[in-house]
Formats: sequence, C-alpha cells, structure tokens
Amino acid sequence: MKTGTLVLAVALLAYPFVLYDHFYWDIGVGLLLAAISASAWNIVGGYAGQVSVGHAMFFGIGAYVPLLVFNLWQLPPIAGAPLAVALSLVLAVVIGLPTFRLRGHYFSMATIAVAELIRIFIGTWDFVGAAIGLQGPAVGRGWWDLTFRSELPYYYIFLVVLAVLLYVTRAVEKSRFGYYLRAIKAGERAARSLGVPVQQTKLKALLLSAVFTSIAGSLYSIKTGFIDPESGFGILISVQMVIVAALGGAGTLYGPLVGALILVPAQTATNTWFGGGGSGLTYILYGGIILVLARFEPGGLHELWQRLAPRLRRTPRAA
Amino acid sequence: MTGPAARLAAIATACLAVMGAVPALAADTVKIGILWPLTGNAAAAGQASKAAAEVAADIVNDAHPDLGNLPLAKTAGLPNMGGARLELVFVDHQGSPSVAQQQALRLITQEKVDVLFGAYQSSCSFTATAVAERQGIPFMVGESAAANITGRGFKWVFRGTPIASDYAATYMRFFDDMKKRGKTIGSIAVVNENTDYGTSVADAIEAAAKKNGIPVAIRIPYSASSTDVSAQVLQLKEKQPDVVIFISYTADAILYIKTMRNLEYMPPMVIGDDTGFSDPSFIPAVADIAQGVMNRSAWDIGKPGSATYLINEMYKKKTSRDLDDTSARNMQSFFALADALNRAGAKDPEKIRVALSQTDLKPDQLMMGYEGVKFDSTGQNVLAATYLIQLHGKKYDLVWPDRAAEAQLQWPMKGWK
Amino acid sequence: MWGSKDNAGANAMLLLQVIVGGLLLGAIYALFSSGLTLIWGMMNFINFAHGEFVMLGMYVALLVVTWLAGGPATFGVAAAFALFVLGVVVYLSLVRHVMRGPMLAQILSTFGLALLLRYTAFWIFSANFVSLPQTSLSGTVNLGGILMPVAQLVAGLVAVSLTVALHLLLTRTAVGSRLLAVAEDRNAAMLMGIRPDRMQALAWGLSAASAGIAGALMATAYPWSPSVGETFGLTAFVVVALGGFGSVPGALYAGLIIGLIQALSAYWFGPIYKDIVVYGLFAALLWLRPQGLMGKA
Repeated sequence: MKTGTLVLAVALLAYPFVLYDHFYWDIGVGLLLAAISASAWNIVGGYAGQVSVGHAMFFGIGAYVPLLVFNLWQLPPIAGAPLAVALSLVLAVVIGLPTFRLRGHYFSMATIAVAELIRIFIGTWDFVGAAIGLQGPAVGRGWWDLTFRSELPYYYIFLVVLAVLLYVTRAVEKSRFGYYLRAIKAGERAARSLGVPVQQTKLKALLLSAVFTSIAGSLYSIKTGFIDPESGFGILISVQMVIVAALGGAGTLYGPLVGALILVPAQTATNTWFGGGGSGLTYILYGGIILVLARFEPGGLHELWQRLAPRLRRTPRAA
Repeated sequence: MTGPAARLAAIATACLAVMGAVPALAADTVKIGILWPLTGNAAAAGQASKAAAEVAADIVNDAHPDLGNLPLAKTAGLPNMGGARLELVFVDHQGSPSVAQQQALRLITQEKVDVLFGAYQSSCSFTATAVAERQGIPFMVGESAAANITGRGFKWVFRGTPIASDYAATYMRFFDDMKKRGKTIGSIAVVNENTDYGTSVADAIEAAAKKNGIPVAIRIPYSASSTDVSAQVLQLKEKQPDVVIFISYTADAILYIKTMRNLEYMPPMVIGDDTGFSDPSFIPAVADIAQGVMNRSAWDIGKPGSATYLINEMYKKKTSRDLDDTSARNMQSFFALADALNRAGAKDPEKIRVALSQTDLKPDQLMMGYEGVKFDSTGQNVLAATYLIQLHGKKYDLVWPDRAAEAQLQWPMKGWK
Repeated sequence: MWGSKDNAGANAMLLLQVIVGGLLLGAIYALFSSGLTLIWGMMNFINFAHGEFVMLGMYVALLVVTWLAGGPATFGVAAAFALFVLGVVVYLSLVRHVMRGPMLAQILSTFGLALLLRYTAFWIFSANFVSLPQTSLSGTVNLGGILMPVAQLVAGLVAVSLTVALHLLLTRTAVGSRLLAVAEDRNAAMLMGIRPDRMQALAWGLSAASAGIAGALMATAYPWSPSVGETFGLTAFVVVALGGFGSVPGALYAGLIIGLIQALSAYWFGPIYKDIVVYGLFAALLWLRPQGLMGKA
C-alpha cells in the first residue's frame, strides 16, 4: 500500500504538468473537490455507516459564508471559511443530537428533509441573495482574495486540503475512535454492549465530517465566485457525495478519491462528447453506469480491487 | 412517423445512436461557442434556443436576399472576412454554474472559439462571463434576467436583450396609456415564480409601480414546480386587483389559467411576462379559456412574406413549432454578434470587442421590435424594448404600442366567455 | 387580515374551497405514496425512482390519448398495466440483486434508475411541456358554492378508492396475506411454500402500477415535462414517513394531511412557505415519532 500511496501522490502532484492546459486543470480541481467532499462525507456515511443524504447543508453553509462576508464587509472571502466551519459545527450538533436516534432509512430521510428545508429557506431570504445568489469578487484585489486567473493555484490548494483530510482520516482509522465507528457500523446494539459510547461517537464523527464538508463548500464558492441555493444546498450536491464515495468504496480511506477519479472525468467526458447534441444522452449513460455498478459491484470498486489485486500479483510470479 | 413514435421505434430496435455530428474543420470559419441548458429543468428553453441559433447561423452562412435589411442575410458568410462561415459549438451546462464555468473554459482553450454566447440561467451567465473576462474573449449574453450580469466592470461582456427594469418600465407606460383611455387601474397584483428570473422581474415591477403610484395589492412568489395553485388564485380573488401580472414558467402558467377557469376568477386583465406564456405549449393547452390574455414579446411573426415571417418558417421547418420570444431574443443577440464579427474583419478578440462596443443597428435591421442595438459602457443594449401582445383566437396579435399595433386591444379580457 | 364581517361568509367559502382542493390533491399523493410505502415496508427498500414511475404514467396517458383517442378509463388502465410490467421488470433485473446488499448500493441503483428513466423519456418525448387534450373530464361542477373541477374530483375519488382497494387486497385476500407473510419473514414464508421472489415481484408491480395510475390522473389537470418526477418523488417520501413505513392506510391519511397542509399554508402564509411547513413538520415528526402516524413502534 505504501508504494501505491506514493504513486498516487506523485501522479496527483504531476498531473497539471502532464496535461498542461486550463481545461484539464479545471477538471482536476473539480475532481479534487469531489474527492474532498466525498471523503468528508465518508467519515460519518462510510466509516460510521450513517448514510446522510443531506450533507449539502454543510457544503452550502461553507459556500455561502465566504461570499456573504465579502458582500457585507468587503472582506476577502477566505475570511468567511472559519465562520462557516463554526456555523456548520453548531448545525451538526443541532441536527445530530435528535437525528442520531433514527436508524437506517429514517436517518437518511431526516437529513434530506433538513437540507431541503434550508435550501428553500435560503431561497426566500433576501439577506443572502434569495434565489439570485451571491457573487464573489469579479477581479481579485490581491492574492488574499484567492481569485486567480489560472486554475493551477486552486489545484494545489485543493490538493493540500485533500492530503490533510486523508491524513486525518488515516489517523481516525487507526485510533480507538475509528474502532468505535466500525463497531457502530457493524451493529449498534452490539457496539453498545461492548461499551462503545454510541451517541457520542456518532456526533464526533458528524462534527469532523461537517468541518471538512464546510471547507469543501468554501473552496467551491471561492473558486467559482458564485453561489445560489441550488448549487449550494441542492439535493444533487448531497447525492453526488454519496455516489462518489459509494462508487469507490465507502468506509475506506481511498474509496472516495478513487470514486472521484473515475466519476468526474466520466461526467465531464460524457457531457463534452454528448452534451451539445442535447439528447440527454449524458444522463442516460451516467444513470446507466451508476445502476450497473450498483447491480454488479454493490461494495464499490474497492471490493472489486480487493478481488482482482491478488490475481494480478500472482500473474507475474507465475510467468 | 415523426416525434415520439419514431423515437420509440428507434428504442425498440435497440439502436443507441450516438448523437452529435463531428464538426468539419475548415480554414475560413469563425467559431462561436454556445452554452445552454440542454438538460435539466430549463432544457425546453435551451433546446428551443439551440434550434434558433442554428437557423440564425444558416441565415448568415447562406445567401438569403429575401430577408430585407437583416445584416449578413443577403450575402453568404461574413463578407469582411472573405466569406468566412460561422461554426457553432454547442455545450450543455446542465443549469450548473460550475459546469458552465468549466465548459466556457473548454470552449476557449480546447475548441479555440472566437466568441462565446449564452447562457440562459443568470447563475450560469455569471460564472461563464467571468471566465470570458479572465481569458479576454468576447461574451454575448443572449438572454439572462439578473440586472447585474452587466455593470460588474467587465470589458468583454455584452447583453442584447432587454432586462427586468426595461420590462417594468414598459408595463408602467402601458398602464399610463390605459388610464388615459379611461380604463381603471386601481391596483395590480404580481405573481412570480421564485427563482432568479421571476424574482428579478417582480422586484423591478414592484419598484416601478411604487414610483408610478400604482398600488401593488398583493405579491405572490411561488415555486414553479407547484402542482396546485388554487390557494394563490383564491388570494387573488379576494384582493380584486385590476391587473394580474404573472412571471411564470410553462407548467405553472398553464396551471394558473386552468385553475382560474375552474375557480371562476377573471380579473379585468391578465398580463403574462413572456416565458411560460410564450411557450409553444401554452396556446394549445389553454387558448379557449384564456382569450384576451396579454403577453410581453418583442417578437412578432408578422405578415406572410415579411422577413420575420420567413425566419419563423425556417424555424418551423426545423422544429415544427413557432419561434417563441425567448428564442427570438437569443437569435437577435446572435445576429448582433455576427454583425460585429463581420465589422471586426478579423478573428482578433480585441477587434471583435471594439466592433461589438461600436454596434449600432437600426430598427429596420432587426427581427425584433427593439429601437435598435447599441451597447452602453457596461455592455447592456440600451435600445432594447418590447411589445405587448394579446391572445386572439389561437394566436397572439400585437396590440401595443399603437404605432406597431396590428389588432385592436380588448379590455377587459374575455377569458372563457 | 380577514376584512370586515360582511366578508366573513365569503371568507368561510374561500377557506372551504382551499380545504377541498387540498384534500383532492392529497388523495393523489396518497395513491402514489401507497405504492412507495408498500415496497418500503415489505422490503425495507427506498425507491428513488418512484417519482419517475408517476412521470411515465403521465406519458402513457398521453400516448393512449393521442394514438388511440382513448378516454380516461382506457388510459388509466393502460398506465397501470404498463407500469405494472415495468415494476416487475425492475424487480427481476435490478432490485432482486441489490436488495440484500449494502444500503448504499440500494440508494445508488434506484438513483441511477431514476436518471435513466427520466432522460430516456427526455430523449423520446423531448424537454417540451405537454398536457392532455381536453377529455370528457373537462369542466367544473358547483357543489353548494364550492367549485370543483370535474377532473380533480374524479381523480381524487378514484385515488381514494384505489388506495382503499390496495389496502383490502393486502389484508383481505389470499395473495395479500402471502405478500405480508413474505414481508414478515421471508424464510418462514418459503417454508410454507410461498415463493418470495414472485410475491416481491408482484409488490413491485403493484407499487409501480399505483404510481402509473396516479400519474395518469394527474395528467388530466397538470402540464408536465420529463423532469416532473423529482417533485413527486420527494412528496412521496414525506407522505410515507408521515404515514409510517409500510402502512397503506397511513399513506392515505398522510397524503390527505399533506395535501391539506400545503393548501392551507399556501393560502395563509404564501405558496413559498408551503414546502417549508411540510418539510419542517416532517423533520419534527421524524424526531418525535419516527415510526410515523400508523407505523408500528
């Protein structure tokens, strides 16, 4: 695994110089963002097995606050990111305490409801731009606005954040906390009888997850320079996190990154090739791919890899 | 067999035809990158505008001497560029601001387009124009409602369509005119769908009404995906406004009219703010119960043989529907862009930008009822205007302003009676 | 805000009108939600494509009307039949294989299915809005001062009867008890000679058929395009959660309640608040009584 990690790191670091072009950089940025969001979701949705379909609530807060502080006080948007994290933490506690009493589908449905509630509410609230949304600085006033002409700086900023997140996740995996999470996923009742503080552990996981999801949202809105209710709190934002993580392998360290590595280029490519035709073929393919993977690889690509890897290793030796 | 039947047959034979022809590479072409929502909730509008842009490109690329003074119609291609042809590259931004940003970037860096055009939803226009500004490529906004798409200090962004404040001003002039004719306009009601389009227009109308001393009896924002609007209609019934202005998309516009019929509520006048009321699905669905409904439109098919009539025929041949105002405004912006490309005389972005800023089209050079196309320093067309039309039988007739009117305005409306 | 006393009578009539309209819409919610609740309760499976089933029911109605000039009875039955077949096919080819897998795979599979169905419809029928031509159900009746569109009245009554019929099918017939036996304990049912796969395929067929008829009924009053399913899907989730997972009577009560709440909050607070009220209530209810109104604790 060590060599694998190294290869991955080198590939991600070198990518912008292999494909030296604004558009490919932008795809890279999108890929990293999807990986960050899905990895953040993975902490509570994958490791703890609490499938939230409402993580857009944290993403949206993270996305709105930076542009809000810019519009209100002309502060650099990044100054809003810590405030967004604080708000997301408060929301996570408010949401987490009651919803964690619910299990399985009930928890998923409750998170959808809360995210939708927030989306609709934001869309009616003039203070945050209502339906029209908020814009960031059109042209950067200095480097601190993080409004770059090139996608390259964003790529490396996002990469650093992803590295930190994966490092934290790795630390969680190895800790007692990580063991608790896996116990909860395996069965709450059994976990409780083993002395795992179930509610407390779930809440901690949600808090950690909310912090990074909020940061992902901030990165998104600073890079895009625009946010509205749909692109911040829309249900598709939540669903995308679930799909990316599940596709790669939920509850594994690199699962979300692998999911993003496959899904984001696939989305961009199908849209680039077929989108202009306007026949909806993009989504027919996208829906079909998701469906087929869920049907034949329900555990995600991670499981497929674990089945294939030993065989691949055996082949050279036999030769 | 056409339409659904043909396509169902295609599925039955299980042939998943890969759409999208590969564009031929030719030396003397000018590439226009076009961003529209071709999937998602606004797909219908995006698809209609796509067909309109294709018709417009045909008009520029081939000789159409029968289209009057429309710039570039008489000749084939762009004469100042040695007859260069326009090549359109369409992309689908799916209604997502970040996809719009990414695809704008692709059009510029991969497809090497010379100019950009789009993007319908204001959210997508915001992000796509920012890319064009950074990369120094001219961007023509065909039709987006939010006021501040222009006026952000951008050099490279132009917008050919009238905007919310223009529409509001038109309604106010119309009300003034009606009062002079002795119609009572004691109060109005504003009913708007609650995304960027409805909110922008309704805000502008409310502000203008306040300025003109016309009380707004009630303003009702609602979600366009509502499946039931009887509560809203009953609220209107209670307030008894003299005019109700609907800023609606398609399904909701039809639903409002049907519900008003069902609940037997008819104000003296209903004005639809384009969009849903201009959708080709609107008339077949409710014409018989919506007689006399007014609508805003700068587009008028005109008499047989006229340039606009011929354009509509070309569009109809392609889509089997009439050209609607939204697509027509996009088409007009497209012609203004083509005109500037021709005057620029070269594919140099700066020259194209300068040519755009010097645009000065006269009313007889337009397909729309504008007073011209001329951009101010923010890039907004200051001569854009609109007509008011009224549903008579199965079609809209131009009824206001008087100088352009082709039929008598009926007030109050007849509805289903 | 209710004006002078002279208006009190008129206001009462308006309010009554709002209430009746809300209940009629709620009846349709109840019908398509009863399909969702059936498989949710039976198999603990969330179907994210349920709204798309409703959408397909609408298009089946359109095809029957335009090609065969069929009336409401014809297109209702056609929609039910077509969707029943689709439901069975979806079960056999997809659901059967993922239902015992991880919950994430279930969510993914039906989400993928939803996209596939929505955009296949998009490809076939285009993005344009369509509505049914005038049918024999056009017009309005005046019931003691309350104006009732015939289409909505018929749709509402049919929806309630079908929901009740589904409940009776489950509780009063041999097929129904076999279905419930499979839901209760798959292995025990197998020992009793019931083939669970057949029963579950039947459940999916019934579920999709109820969505199909509901779609056909909606189509008489409401214009639509391929993306209409999203709204219905979310509404169905709320109704099912309110009514209790697996409870058809619960879906009936909850559908009527949601319809009523939407109409009243749109009338009192304004239409943009109706979804806020519904989702707020939904979230609150999940916390207070997660098993829903009629669900077993």
